[in-house]
Amino acid sequence: MPPMFSARMASPFMLSLAALMFAFIALVPASARAADNEAAKAFVSETSEQALAIIGDKSIDQSTREAQFTALLRAKADLNRIAGFALGQFIRLPTPEQKTEYLKLVENFIVKVYLTRLADYTDQKLTILSSTDKGAKEVIVKSRIEFTSGREPVTVDWWLIKEGDSFRIFDVNVVGIWLAQEQRSTFTSVINSHNGDFNALLDHLKAQIAKADTSGSTAN
Amino acid sequence: MKLLGRVMRVQAGKSIGLGLAFLLSVSGYALMSNVANAAETQAQATDAVSDENDPLEPMNRYFFEVNRFLDTIAVKPVATWYDGVLPGFAKDGVRNFLDNLRSPVILANDLLQGEWDRAGTTASRFAINTTVGVGGLMDPASRWGMAQHGEDFGQTLAVYGTGEGPYLYLPLLGPAPVRDLSGFVVDQFFDPLTYVYWNGPNTVPVARFVLNGIDLRARNLGTLDQIERTSVDYYATIRNLYRQSRLNEINNGETNVDTLPDIDNLNFDTNEPQAVSPTS
Repeated sequence: MPPMFSARMASPFMLSLAALMFAFIALVPASARAADNEAAKAFVSETSEQALAIIGDKSIDQSTREAQFTALLRAKADLNRIAGFALGQFIRLPTPEQKTEYLKLVENFIVKVYLTRLADYTDQKLTILSSTDKGAKEVIVKSRIEFTSGREPVTVDWWLIKEGDSFRIFDVNVVGIWLAQEQRSTFTSVINSHNGDFNALLDHLKAQIAKADTSGSTAN
Repeated sequence: MKLLGRVMRVQAGKSIGLGLAFLLSVSGYALMSNVANAAETQAQATDAVSDENDPLEPMNRYFFEVNRFLDTIAVKPVATWYDGVLPGFAKDGVRNFLDNLRSPVILANDLLQGEWDRAGTTASRFAINTTVGVGGLMDPASRWGMAQHGEDFGQTLAVYGTGEGPYLYLPLLGPAPVRDLSGFVVDQFFDPLTYVYWNGPNTVPVARFVLNGIDLRARNLGTLDQIERTSVDYYATIRNLYRQSRLNEINNGETNVDTLPDIDNLNFDTNEPQAVSPTS
């Protein structure tokens, strides 16, 4: 059987067409990806600067700080998806009313918890290291926080979801710990240990928010 | 919390029979799980909600409370005192000395994992810090670009493909799933000090264990308080933090994008009917 393609059969036109197609396949996605990555890095750098500015601003009181942080969170994070992810297998459990209350509580909980946990991150400098695509719609950006006090640097990974020209934060990894995964394991554990009662989770969230309020006021 | 425990080394050093029994069960477990492993890691990677695996949860929660009680009445007060009284350089000296003592175990596991570069780092660190660093009290190697890293046989088993096994929480020892508990016992046999003090009194190993626990507790005073205060379920949070940090250690700090849960189709706002009842 003769070969299907021989050098004689490939005309200069076909060759150049093939070359052109190759160039498109090889180059276009690569350049698009590189541009995306720069955008993702810029997004992380901008968002983290805004967050650190809010946390480090000594001139505002706690409630103003919470309000500013909430606004930033709503603009930059995919709160609905985070809240849904944190329910794990129980995502279809809440009634519409419970869901509305849950979403409100989760937002409040995240603000309180992370303002508390991040309170001592005030003398730092964030360096963006690299970014990796995860599938077509997600990007992981790696960064490192260095402290002027000489404390050991902390690695922070940002899991972003592409949304049009911009991004939304889905999860943040601090020294190897994904925060949304941590919340999911505790939320599902609470529901499980109360025989699937969704209200138990709502009560726990309310209790935690109240606790953060009291400890926050004594700390200041 | 896992730091609370090196008490096992004393027991392992003393009761050889127990140690051997453990060793046998380790190899048996490793073999079994290697067979089942391909499927298991696949399932772990894809199933986002598989992180329960805690069949003895009531017992574990009980021991968790026991440890919290011990922590409140003994460990935390001593650690707070230690933290307040000792100057920073003295605490760093203690930490460096204890870390340096662990070098042989780290080296053995570096080698077993085929991490030749890291094994070289561990060996150089030990040589430099034991001599220039005055018996390990100082850590000049870190300043010369050879940073400290940890390894243990639990991680080595994981690199060989062994799954974590069911979660266990033990008094004093803290989180110790089957794989890591087995690794902990095996590590005692990699430690030259186990043989040095094999027939002698327990004083030195016990002192080492206690000092290690106190130092690590002192370093995490603020962190653990904060986690406890901001957790909806402290036990479940610690379980998840333990698992995630172990995974991070096993991967030597590299994030593997492919093992992250799939969130593409995750959606709150579908019109599907409500779940009738949850899984129990």
